This record gives sequence, structure tokens and C-alpha cells, in this order.
Amino acid sequence: MWSAGRGGAARPVLLGLLLALLVPGGGAAKTGAELVTCGSVLKLLNTHHRVRLHSHDIKYGSGSGQQSVTGVEASDDANSYWRIRGGSEGGCPRGSPVRCGQAVRLTHVLTGKNLHTHHFPSPLSNNQEVSAFGEDGQGDDLDLWTVRCSGQHWEREAAVRFQHVGTSVFLSVTGEQYGSPIRGQHEVHGMPSANTHNTWKAMEGIFIKPSVEPSAGHDEL
Amino acid sequence: MAPQNLSTFCLLLLYLIGAVIAGRDFYKILGVPRSASIKDIKKAYRKLALQLHPDRNPDDPQAQEKFQDLGAAYEVLSDSEKRKQYDTYGEEGLKDGHQSSHGDIFSHFFGDFGFMFGGTPRQQDRNIPRGSDIIVDLEVTLEEVYAGNFVEVVRNKPVARQAPGKRKCNCRQEMRTTQLGPGRFQMTQEVVCDECPNVKLVNEERTLEVEIEPGVRDGMEYPFIGEGEPHVDGEPGDLRFRIKVVKHPIFERRGDDLYTNVTISLVESLVGFEMDITHLDGHKVHISRDKITRPGAKLWKKGEGLPNFDNNNIKGSLIITFDVDFPKEQLTEEVREGIKQLLKQGSVQKVYNGLQGY
Repeated sequence: MWSAGRGGAARPVLLGLLLALLVPGGGAAKTGAELVTCGSVLKLLNTHHRVRLHSHDIKYGSGSGQQSVTGVEASDDANSYWRIRGGSEGGCPRGSPVRCGQAVRLTHVLTGKNLHTHHFPSPLSNNQEVSAFGEDGQGDDLDLWTVRCSGQHWEREAAVRFQHVGTSVFLSVTGEQYGSPIRGQHEVHGMPSANTHNTWKAMEGIFIKPSVEPSAGHDEL
Repeated sequence: MAPQNLSTFCLLLLYLIGAVIAGRDFYKILGVPRSASIKDIKKAYRKLALQLHPDRNPDDPQAQEKFQDLGAAYEVLSDSEKRKQYDTYGEEGLKDGHQSSHGDIFSHFFGDFGFMFGGTPRQQDRNIPRGSDIIVDLEVTLEEVYAGNFVEVVRNKPVARQAPGKRKCNCRQEMRTTQLGPGRFQMTQEVVCDECPNVKLVNEERTLEVEIEPGVRDGMEYPFIGEGEPHVDGEPGDLRFRIKVVKHPIFERRGDDLYTNVTISLVESLVGFEMDITHLDGHKVHISRDKITRPGAKLWKKGEGLPNFDNNNIKGSLIITFDVDFPKEQLTEEVREGIKQLLKQGSVQKVYNGLQGY
């Protein structure tokens, strides 16, 4: 079929090129095990300040007076676990990989309240207060956060941003620390612009592997 | 004729010798057919591992060996590559030999500390501090409650590992008495610590298999011992998956029974009909009516509900409630006359108190 002789060196190169074109996605094949899926429980690390998103049964002394959300340095605190859920009931079935641009809710595992923000000033830096709100996972429309990342899906290794759907601020830490009774914990607040203070990475957790069946594909943006 | 018999005999002999040399029959060890799905294999392993664990069979000298066989069988049959090799060449045909310790496989299903038999010794020693437990809600569909399933989960957790140097541990407040002068003492509070080997937290990852058993009920928990949060001075807590059954668009669960509704047309309600309802695993439930079906009529289908958690062979019932779709537009004069003629009913118009059950 191929004529022998001339072009002997070029042939394997051409074949290689042809194969590379045929392979879809060209090598960036994801095993699927590295994607964050709905139903997973995880800790989020602010990559710049090295603190984990955290909440506890302590209310803000100012602003809304709701349950406070902070950043902690410890890696073994069970109060740093958050559960990823879709924006509405049944909107993101267990095991569906979270898409970049999808709206999710982050529910604090130990208190059942959702990550929330609203037009109240934060106590230390006067940015926008971020609180934990709701009962048993049921809050309101201000619990929705859009996952901002590059590519198609939220990958566990990636640094992503969380942009609030209602007020457009980004979940951020800028280094201010509280005194007693939560000495050493950092303030978490909302900031209007995307910068190095608002990238977060999934760390410890219980990650549900992506399910084999195609997701129901409910778009709830 | 003689050479044929001889060759068959030789073949049979070779086969038998081959079967003996070829090694263990993994399918028989797990008790599954050769066509078993991965789900069946996981289910069989989990059930047998609990039964055959050496801690559970202290009087059986072969317990360790049986348990090892079980682990080897699962390791091969749960991996599609190895299973293919095994199916073609037998145990001898497995190239790289099974190296992974059986402890690893067992902990996929039950957690780091495995399953403590004989009265959970963990709880007895209250002096050892424990890390926090984590409870994860696991959403489960009715299809999974009907047929069972396995959910694979990656657990990434901080683990306490030895590090060079020492650290302060078991810090506590103690009262110290100091003498200020003859007969005068002062009591002060002091923080006193012990010295312990240094420990640092390192993130480690492993895969866990959570079984959704058929008939599982809302709120039931599946624990993985030792997979919770670590404690630098003690033991890690546990990870528990709590089942949360989600609502289904067609079926409603009440215990082991399933409820569903069907709307039929006015004609069907009067003259009868046939239909199929697709069940949770895809099989069809056939309904055939030739009598009149009133609105609110209930049909009981025994054995078409959910399997009972304690005995999967017993199933609840499927209860179907019918409602009738009345025509939406007004009927023409012609149709009205026709109906009066066909049904030949007189006027009824009985007035009564419907709320007191007369």
C-alpha cells in the first residue's frame, strides 16, 4: 500500500500525527476520579493564606448576627467539612461532576447551615459578611455560589473561585484575624474582584466517584 | 475406535491434571456464577468477609487460609484485566501475582480498623482520646433500594505519622503550692505537659466501597471504623454514611410497599383496559381489567413492592390507585342522546351527608 523507499523516515511521524488527531482531547484524558461531584463532603483551602473554610456554633457579634464563617489553620478539624449540593432539590444527583459555571450550595456538615452572604459589613475588614444560614440544609436564594474554574469541570487539584450568585462577590480571605473566643481564626468575607485572595482548593474529604450513567443534565443557572 | 477412546481419555486426564494445577476456583470461593457482574462480586465478598474473618472464627485452623483465598478471589475478579486473564489461563496465567495485602481489600469495605468482633473493644478503653466522627448523608434512589448498589468513594484524610523530635502532649492544669515564708503558702495554677514523640499530619487517600443493601431504610448507617478525623494523641474517629432515600417521580415508598397512581380514560374505566407499568429494575407489571374501574379504585399487586431489608426474598406489595380522566370539552347534543340510549340509566340524585360515612 505504501511505496517503499522515499519518505521512510516521514511515515512514522505522519502516522503518529494522524493518531494524535484521532485521539479525542489529545491526551488530556481524565480518569474521572479527580472530579468533584455533588454529594461529596470536603474541606476547602484558601491557597494564598493556607486556611480552611470553617464554621461553628458561634454567632457574629455584629452585622447579621448569624452563625460565623472563618478560616482555620488546622487540617484535622471536623468543623471544616462542607457538603457540595446542587442549586435546587434534585438538581445535581449524587456523583454528577460539578461543571465550571454551575451554581452550587455548600452546606456545613456539622451544623446543617449553608454558606451564605448578604449586604452586611464584615466585622474586621468592612468587606461583605459571609455567614452560615438555614436549617438542616434549607436556606434561601442567597445560598447559591457559582463555581468559577477553567475547563469543563471542577477538578480536585484545581484552584477555583466561588462567586456569589445574588451579590456577585467572591469568597475571600485577606488575613485579618479574630481575637477571643476564636483567637487566630481568619476572617472570611466577600470581595467584588477576582484576585489571589479568592482561590480555593479541595483538600481532605469524602469524594464520591463520578457515576457511570450520564447525569440527568439539569441546568439550574 | 480404540485410538479415539484413548485420545478422549488422554484429553480428560490432561484436563483433570490441568484443573488441579490451574489453581483455585475463584468463582466457587466467592459463590458466584462465571457471568457474575461486578456488583454481585462485591456483594458476595462483603457478605463472606464478615463470615470468614479469622477474628470471627478463632476455633477454625483453616480460617486464615480461607480468608486469604477470599481476598485473592476478590482481587482478581474485581479487576476486569485480571479477570479476563484468569478466565482464559486460570490462576497460573496471572502474570504479576497478587501482591496487595488482604488487609487493604478488607478496609475498602469496612475501614481502617476493620470490623472488631466480639464486643467492640474500641469502646471499652475510654482513656484513649478519639478524633471526631463524620456523618455523610448518602442520597439513594428507589432503584438502588430495589436492586442494591455499591458506591465508590475516595477518602482523603489527614493521618498522624511519626516525625523527628518531640512535642508537648497531654497538657493539663495543675495546682502548684509554693512556700512564701514560714507558714505562708501560695497555690497557683500551672500548665504542665508531657513529652511525646513528634507527630505530623499527612494526607493519605484510599478508595472505600459503600454497599446500598436492597430494602435499606432511610436513616440507616454504614460505618467505616477509623476513617473519621484523626486525633494526634489517640485514635481516629469513624466515618458513617447515612442513607437518605430521595423522592421518586412514579413510586412512593411506605415501608416495603410501593404506591403509584394511574390515570385512565372514561372509556377505559367503563369497558376495561390492559397496560404495563415499568418497575424500578425495568421489569413490567401487567394490569388487565375487564370490569368497570371506578375513580379511586385500588389494585393490589403482591410481591411487586420493595424487598424486605432483613429478608430480601420477601417483597412488599405495589398498590395502584386509579383515577379517571373525564372529557374536558362539552359533549354535543348527539353524543348526549347517544349516551342516554346506551347506558339506559334513570336519574339517581341521592342527597346525603358524605362527610359522616353514611
